[in-house]
Amino acid sequence: MTLLSDARMQEVVDAVAASDDADLAIVDRGLTEAPDDPRLHFLRGSVLAGIGRPIEALASLKQAVALAPDFTIARFQLGFFQLTSGEAAEALSTWGPLALLPEDHYLRLFVGGLTYLIRDEFVPAVADLRRGMAANVENPPLNRDIQLIVDRVIDIPAPVAATTEASSATSLLLGQFGSGRVH
Amino acid sequence: MKRPRATGLDVVLDPQRAEASLWRRARFEADVGSRETLFNRYLLLARSVAARHFRRRRAVERGDLEQLAYEGLLQAIDRFDPLQGVPFGAYARPRIAGNVADGATRMTEIEAQLSRRYRMQQERLRTLKIDGGGDALTTLADLVVDLAIGLMLEGTGMLADEDDADARPGAYEGLAWRQTQAALAAALDRLPQGEQTVIRQHYQTGMSFAHIAELLRLSRGRVSQLHRSAVERLRRWLRHHRG
Repeated sequence: MTLLSDARMQEVVDAVAASDDADLAIVDRGLTEAPDDPRLHFLRGSVLAGIGRPIEALASLKQAVALAPDFTIARFQLGFFQLTSGEAAEALSTWGPLALLPEDHYLRLFVGGLTYLIRDEFVPAVADLRRGMAANVENPPLNRDIQLIVDRVIDIPAPVAATTEASSATSLLLGQFGSGRVH
Repeated sequence: MKRPRATGLDVVLDPQRAEASLWRRARFEADVGSRETLFNRYLLLARSVAARHFRRRRAVERGDLEQLAYEGLLQAIDRFDPLQGVPFGAYARPRIAGNVADGATRMTEIEAQLSRRYRMQQERLRTLKIDGGGDALTTLADLVVDLAIGLMLEGTGMLADEDDADARPGAYEGLAWRQTQAALAAALDRLPQGEQTVIRQHYQTGMSFAHIAELLRLSRGRVSQLHRSAVERLRRWLRHHRG
């Protein structure tokens, strides 16, 4: 597997973050240099999700996880993407290996909270999501997304807004990029 | 009207992604269930196109225009490229309208004059042909019950009455009839999935068996078989309900 050097990777991430419309071509150029780099596929999935191309985004996220099954943040985000697409069973299946993380790992807690949420068990869902946020020092942007979910859960049974902000609760933020392990 | 309580999944569901997921599964993974969900989701669009055509030209019965609209919708679903970034409604509407207009022009005068309901009933009757194994009287009694089940299903509120007929209960709708009808509506949920889909699409949506076959990617013979076995199952349950 050919990986981009860390310096080159940072260059790609910076260029994407600096471009007005999260230019996909920048990532694709990186992929011509290292077609099997899971971080680039994850980044590509993030960019595609951000510009409203969910079918291709999912394919890229799946590719990232297939290339690096232990890339935990990519696995979490793939499951999250599936969940927000209404594919709860697939999300749970994707998240399965995250159960092997330490009990107090923020991703494991988030998965626990979201699993409760799928089962409509709102109290333990909020508890686990909050514990996850407290444990998460690695990935602050993710906490903002989780907080949005917590806020919405607390609003139940008050009517939930008919439309959710596509990029809020579910965005794959570039700020998260680089965290998680790649083996 | 009371709003249903939000579920946990509602909290995180992103409508755009959920729709994309359906398209992905329907178009690239040949998932018939997702295709049917998409069809049901855009059913009102097809009906509104048919209604619009009907308001302008009343030469063809509205039910026939709806069949043409369903056909156009199915074609649009199968030809739509979800990767192009065009909303499906905008893509499908002119195609459905085109199919309705072309089909209405093609319909012969005789076809147009024959009541759609009559044709639907004929089609239904054909699928209910009894195998002739039992004695003639039992066979006839079964057939009569099966046809009555069809009438009851139409009256369960599943099928919208497009003729604006008087919907008030008449002498025909005695208490026993209405109770049986309620039992029938409840029994529908217990039918095996395939049979349930055929019954709902035929009686609720008013789709012909040919279009249901296209929707479910089954042969017409298989759809007829599912219809027959569903009606037979309902007949057995109803007899049990009465007993």
